[in-house]
Parts: sequence; C-alpha cells; structure tokens
Amino acid sequence: MAETAFLLDLGRCIGCQACVAACKTGNELNAGTQYIQLIEQTRGTFPVLEGGFKNHRCYHCTDAACVSVCPTGALFKEDGLTRLDREVCSGCGYCVESCPYGVPEMVDGLSSKCDGCSTTVKAGGEPWCVTTCPSRALEFGDRADVLAEANRRVDALKERYPNAQVYGETQAGGLGVIIVAPDDPEQLDLPMEPDPPLAAGVWTGVVQPVSLGLTAATAVVAGVAAVIARRNHMQELRRIEAGEIVVAGITPGTDDESKEG
Amino acid sequence: MATHEHEVLRYRRNQRMVHALLASSFLLLLLTGMVLLWGPLSFLAEGGNSRWLHRVGAIGFMLVPVAYVVTDRRGAKELLVDSFKYDRDDVEWTKHVYRYTMGHAAEMPPQGRLNAGQKLHHATVIVVSASIVLTGLAMWFFKPALGATGLAWAAVIHDLSMLALTLLLVGHLYFTYVYKAISGMTTGYVDEDEARLEHAKWVDEIEEAAEAAPLGKEEETAASS
Repeated sequence: MAETAFLLDLGRCIGCQACVAACKTGNELNAGTQYIQLIEQTRGTFPVLEGGFKNHRCYHCTDAACVSVCPTGALFKEDGLTRLDREVCSGCGYCVESCPYGVPEMVDGLSSKCDGCSTTVKAGGEPWCVTTCPSRALEFGDRADVLAEANRRVDALKERYPNAQVYGETQAGGLGVIIVAPDDPEQLDLPMEPDPPLAAGVWTGVVQPVSLGLTAATAVVAGVAAVIARRNHMQELRRIEAGEIVVAGITPGTDDESKEG
Repeated sequence: MATHEHEVLRYRRNQRMVHALLASSFLLLLLTGMVLLWGPLSFLAEGGNSRWLHRVGAIGFMLVPVAYVVTDRRGAKELLVDSFKYDRDDVEWTKHVYRYTMGHAAEMPPQGRLNAGQKLHHATVIVVSASIVLTGLAMWFFKPALGATGLAWAAVIHDLSMLALTLLLVGHLYFTYVYKAISGMTTGYVDEDEARLEHAKWVDEIEEAAEAAPLGKEEETAASS
C-alpha cells in the first residue's frame, strides 16, 4: 500500500471526545488505556482568551525515534504509519523515553500506542476515530491527498487565522498525521523540531553494529591465533623439558606429564 | 584427595567461587543484553523474560566485589593493589607482549603473581565494570529522569563498556587456552614448572614463605587472586 496518513484539523475539532470513545471501543482497549487524549488548551490572558483542543496521539513520524530504539522490532513502519506488535514487545520502555511527543505508554508491562487501526484498514475500513468524527476534523487516506487537503483547509483558514499552517509535512522526516494548525504550532504545544536526538542515532546506528562486528571479528582472529600460540607454547614446554631452553629454577627431564607419557 | 606434588596453589576455594559468580553473572548479562542488539536473537527478548534475567545477572555481578571482600578479604585487597602497581619488569614485559601472546613465555622479563597483562586486564575490568554498573543502574531506576538524550548516552556508554569487557573476555579465554591455565580455576592448582616459567617472582615468594612457615599450611600461605 502507498504511504497513508491521517488528517487532523485542529480548527474543526469540537472536543466531543467521540474519537476517544470510538478508538477505545473499536480497538477493545482495557480500562485505563487510550490511544487518543483530548487536551483542552487555553491561550491568552483573561478576558481575551482563545481555546482549542489538542488531539494528543501517535503522530506516526517517518524518522520514528521509537522505531530506531526498539530492540525487538515490535515497533515498525508500514504504509507510512508506525505499527506496534505487542506480541514481540520486550517491555524495555525505550520508546516511552525516546518519543519526542511523549506518546507510548507502558500498559501491563508492554508498550501501548495507536497503530493506525492496522487490522481494520487492511480489511478495507477506516480508522475508528475517522469513521466517528462528526466534524470532519479527522480524515484518512493517501498521504499526498491528505497533504493537498490540509493545504486547502489552511488557505481557507488564513482569512480568520493568519498564523494558520500545515504541521507535519517535514517534522521528523514527515508525520503520518498531517495537522491543520489554526495557530503557530508551538503555541499549540507542537514542537517545530521533534527529531530524535543525535545520541539515539549514535547508539542504535553506530555503537550497536560496531560492537557486534568488532566482537565477532576479534573472536575469529583470537580463535585462529590461539591454535598457533598454543602449539608454540607446547613446543616451548617440550624444549624446556629437553634442556634446549634453559629457565632458571626448572630442571629438565623432571616433568610428571612427560614421564608418564 | 588429590595430591598436588609439583603443583602450586594459585586460587583458593573462595576465590574460585567468586570467580564462578563473576563468570556466570557476566555470561547471563552478555546473553540477555545481546538479545537487544542482534536481530536474529531478538525473539528471545519477546515478552520481557530477558529483562528480569538481566536484572538477576546484574545483582549477581554487583555482588562480586562484596562476595570477594566477605569471603577472602586478603585476596580482594591483593587483587586491587597488584592490579594498579607496575614495576620495571612489568614495563619491559609489556614491550614484548607480542611474544607472550604468541605462546613464548621463556625469556620474557620475570613476573610476579600477576603478569603485566593480567594487571592491565584486571585494572580495566574494574574501571569499566564501574561504568557499566553506573549506567545500568541509571537506566534501571532513573529512566524517566534521563529523557531521550540521557537514555541514549547512557546506553552508548553501557554498550561500549560491554564491548570492552567482552573483548577482554575473549583475551582472557585466549590466554587461558594458550597457557593451559584452566586448572587454576577448577582445582585451584597449577603446574609448578609452568608457574615458574610465567610467574618466576611469585614462585620465589611462595618458596620463601613456605620456608619461613611450618609445613602443611600451603592453603593459607599461597598468594592469591
């Protein structure tokens, strides 16, 4: 399948919580678990206040920090989205610390987050949150189409909201959730550079493969050298025993093993 | 009881037990850590069993110095002191380490209970173990406080420390095989002539001590670690 993406229009979100409920029931999530959280945001100072809702959820980064630090491949990219296979998860929690948006959570000792309704979408359906959204703040489809729609909506919004912009086209390699932001994204608590830290790349991209390679190479070289060196040493012991090499304190011809042999 | 004629005691029973604790906990840590690095082994990490096994190994590993001090205070002290004290013979020995590595011990400068290579090995193990324990504890108990960058750097130091320890293990096994030294850790005794060849100053010390002390006290008088 081609790259898919969600459209999340924060200008249209009415904070009804329908997506939260549909996600919970559709994905049969246990009590206390949810993939979407609606966070009410208020900006400005009284009495001039502006409000909105942040639809906090996995943004399906292309350069996903969680995928890069996941040791077992439980987190992986597919169709432009970040999937999670809990059967494979080891529960290390590296994804929890590494996500620039603070999305994954540990539930029953394993990672838990939105997987883009993988099963439903592969069966030809739409993600539960999209199906249920009454204000068309959520859409799902081909990423290029979603991006075009987001740009159309931002253009329309700009009359009333001059700071409106598309968020997620480029962040973290491009998000799988294209956001129509009615205001400066940082005002909406969306970081402009959510890229994974350099250290994470050094860790999983350099240190781990180099460590494995060096260990394997050293073991092979040592294995070959050990055979040669052991032979040298045994020969040396025989020559000492025969008196060909003189070592202070060792009397030739007295070694038990050679007497027995 | 086996007689130990023409043999010298190299490691007392408690030292061998401490070594067994170090070896088993280290190998458990290596295996349960490796499953997070090497794709073909990652299925072993699924479900999280390797995580608590890694913590069991970590507790065993951290107990090694405690166990050594409790069961053989003198041995532990000698290990620590000897590993960081180098004399002129050690410097000379290090210059010819290639000869020794290739199995030629004769004509090497005379060595004490630990040769210069063993001293460097132990000293590095002690220092690197401290760094692996500290970063390991940080990731175990303070992961949320580390954040994404802190976690990654802690993991980098942890992984590089383990790389160093694993390469040292390869060298350790290498010299054990080349100089057929395994009996030092199984029975505790090594061949006297071979000890004289590789640790001349140590064997001299033992003989002096044996002359000064009454017979039959070998277990206690032999030097250690």
